[in-house]
Amino acid sequence: MTDTDAHLPGIMSGDAQAFARWMRVAEPEVRVSLRRFAASVDAEAVVQEALLRVWQVAPRFQADGRPNGLLRLSVRIAHNLAVSETRKRRDVALGEDGLEARLNQLASAEGVHHGDPHLRRAIHGCKEKLPAQPAKALNARLSSEGGLADADLAEGVGMKLNTFLQNFSRARKLLAECLRKAGVDIEAELA
Amino acid sequence: MNTPEENEVLIAAVTSAYRARDVDGKLRIHPNWHDLDDEGRREAFDASFQVRRLESALDDDGENSTIKAVIARIHAGR
Repeated sequence: MTDTDAHLPGIMSGDAQAFARWMRVAEPEVRVSLRRFAASVDAEAVVQEALLRVWQVAPRFQADGRPNGLLRLSVRIAHNLAVSETRKRRDVALGEDGLEARLNQLASAEGVHHGDPHLRRAIHGCKEKLPAQPAKALNARLSSEGGLADADLAEGVGMKLNTFLQNFSRARKLLAECLRKAGVDIEAELA
Repeated sequence: MNTPEENEVLIAAVTSAYRARDVDGKLRIHPNWHDLDDEGRREAFDASFQVRRLESALDDDGENSTIKAVIARIHAGR
């Protein structure tokens, strides 16, 4: 397993593509670390905000000699954002939440999840089996790269918003089912 | 209380990586996230994780829509 800090020199020098390569591993780790807050914060907004903050502070980052330093920092930033958002919305006591234990796991190069290696091989065959309308909704989302609202995407493919979302949901479930039959569990990292 | 069909549509909406910005430039919570109850929000969290894994696997560079949205914000000066 590779230490994600291998990307640090590029990131610290302002190379956004190096940051993108780092995020391929870091983004799922940051997202999974927020599962405890799933009912109290919009995790997508927190993940993106945390990653943007990491990019801003990265030039001043000082490694502590252990692996995955920037990843551990990003998990901590996301955690702090989630705690802050939770306190704004709910009067809840936030006790021990396993953050330190997870950070310790990430302090070894083997502590990072890299997903199922069979997923990439299996998914294209599954996507080809999708019915036309769900495939259209999925392709619209994929090509938008997170830059357009669903209302705009729906209009672009000639669907009502509700129909677009129903088709997208169907595509997701059909892909997951097809992958399960191929022996790939894409939610294993959430367990 | 949402029907299962309503929940399905709300969850599909929340799985989008698109988030609008407020006047201070801060990312806004997806409006449909507010319409889900706690259980629906947990389902949306898991569905979003699943969608990002699928997106990464379908992308030649392994980059999902969250990563692309963050890179776009960086190039746009946030």
